Amino acid sequence: MAPAKLEIANLSMRFGALEALRAIDLAIGAGEFIAIVGPSGCGKTTLLRIVAGLEAASGGAVRLDGRMVTDPGPDRGFVFQTDNLLPWRTVLANAMIGLEIGGKTGAEVEQRILALLRLVGLGGFEGYYPRQLSGGMRQRVNLARALAVDPEILLMDEPFSALDAQTREIMQTELLRIWDEGRKTVLFVTHQIDEAVYLADRVIVLARRPGRVQEIVPISLARPRPLAVKRTPEFVAIVDRIWRLIEEDVRESVLHEHA
Amino acid sequence: MSLSGRSEASPGAAAPAAEAAARRSWWRAKGAISLLSLATGLLLWELVSRLFVANKLFLAAPSQIAMALATMTGSGTLGRHIGVSAGEFALGYVIASLLGIVIGLAMAGSDRAKQALQPWVSGFYATPTVALAPLFILWVGIGIWSKVLVVITLVVFPVVINTEAGLRTTSPRLIETVRSFGASRAQIFRMVSLPSAMPFIMAGLKLGIGRGLIGVVVAELFGSRAGLGQLISQSAETFNMPNLFAGVVILATAGIALTAGFSLLEQKLFPWTRE
Repeated sequence: MAPAKLEIANLSMRFGALEALRAIDLAIGAGEFIAIVGPSGCGKTTLLRIVAGLEAASGGAVRLDGRMVTDPGPDRGFVFQTDNLLPWRTVLANAMIGLEIGGKTGAEVEQRILALLRLVGLGGFEGYYPRQLSGGMRQRVNLARALAVDPEILLMDEPFSALDAQTREIMQTELLRIWDEGRKTVLFVTHQIDEAVYLADRVIVLARRPGRVQEIVPISLARPRPLAVKRTPEFVAIVDRIWRLIEEDVRESVLHEHA
Repeated sequence: MSLSGRSEASPGAAAPAAEAAARRSWWRAKGAISLLSLATGLLLWELVSRLFVANKLFLAAPSQIAMALATMTGSGTLGRHIGVSAGEFALGYVIASLLGIVIGLAMAGSDRAKQALQPWVSGFYATPTVALAPLFILWVGIGIWSKVLVVITLVVFPVVINTEAGLRTTSPRLIETVRSFGASRAQIFRMVSLPSAMPFIMAGLKLGIGRGLIGVVVAELFGSRAGLGQLISQSAETFNMPNLFAGVVILATAGIALTAGFSLLEQKLFPWTRE
């Protein structure tokens, strides 16, 4: 078996007395689309942030292509939950910021970014400012910005959760279309089970308090996946199975939050 | 906001144009009301000073002020006074702005610098430092430098406070975003903190205009050879109300013009702050 693209070994994370993650072991292959689901408070975003190097783990290791991850770097592209675009930069300048940080600028880079913006469906909008765009379009820029550095892995933190239901579905199909172009390795955190099942090759289900891997569910639905696949019995059965895995945890977390 | 605006620009152009015209006429109506209000006020002032306050020693009518302005402009007196005051203001303002931004940067960049400087900044910002004008005159004479010093002490603190606040309130999410690409501290500062603080710094500079103008005039009142403050105090001593008011009118105009200019510049430079 080929060595894993991303390897997470015995990873743990504590925030004071709170044990956020316990003994996480994961091996993710190159070009795999992995979704992580779980109730709120299961540490799924924390896990993603550790892989991004935005937070340091309390124990264990993250290896990308065999190298230890300790700091943020351009080998990982992070797509944030909120678009976090710089309001004083145009779409083009926002998408280019990762390369600019890496010291890469110039006409050739700009041509590449323009092509990338066309790929994410923003052709012709390169001169617009974020405030002139809709939420869905801003998330496209967010995605383009992460793709621009040509990362080894794409880390996505509930990127569609702030969008309305219809836009979200469109963005899911768009993401699959874009992913199909380059087949990057993707780690996609979401709280929506149907989103995870629709997008992923494998869904990692986390349990809470402490956050740990409960089960890894392989999704064998054929690609390309039209939106209609969400209404097939097969799809519904998988969603139902995952829901049952986390139902009790979710109930508990809801009660906890309202207590 | 129409997202397909680019491709439909030509067929859709008529509707935005009509909308813009409607907005323009609304602005015009708003401007008309302001002008009417000003005109009424001036007319009342004219009537009151002519009919009720017959004594010219207490109040000058707008027409008399206009005459005084014209006469002093013709003789070159007004130009000389404006030149001196403007020079003092500009010198003090520029020095204070640079100084204020540098100190603000230092306070935002280092907690130690902030702890050391904060009590002084807060203290001096709240103190009416124009009261120090006589002291400055004693130190550096009645020339322009005593006025420059007063302007500096009045302008520098709001600039410091706004620069520091602007840098500190930079969105942590934006900082994290560039950090995720491995940005250095210097890059974070240049790409995120500084541009996001610019509107704050600008607001501090705007606040400094009014304070600086007050500083110039008050310092000149305490002792000077020329300047609008000197014109005002001299006119008061000789009970020349038209000349006194002429000085005040020039100051008011300068304050309004500079502040409006800054507001215009803000809209041009930082359009994203308008929502």
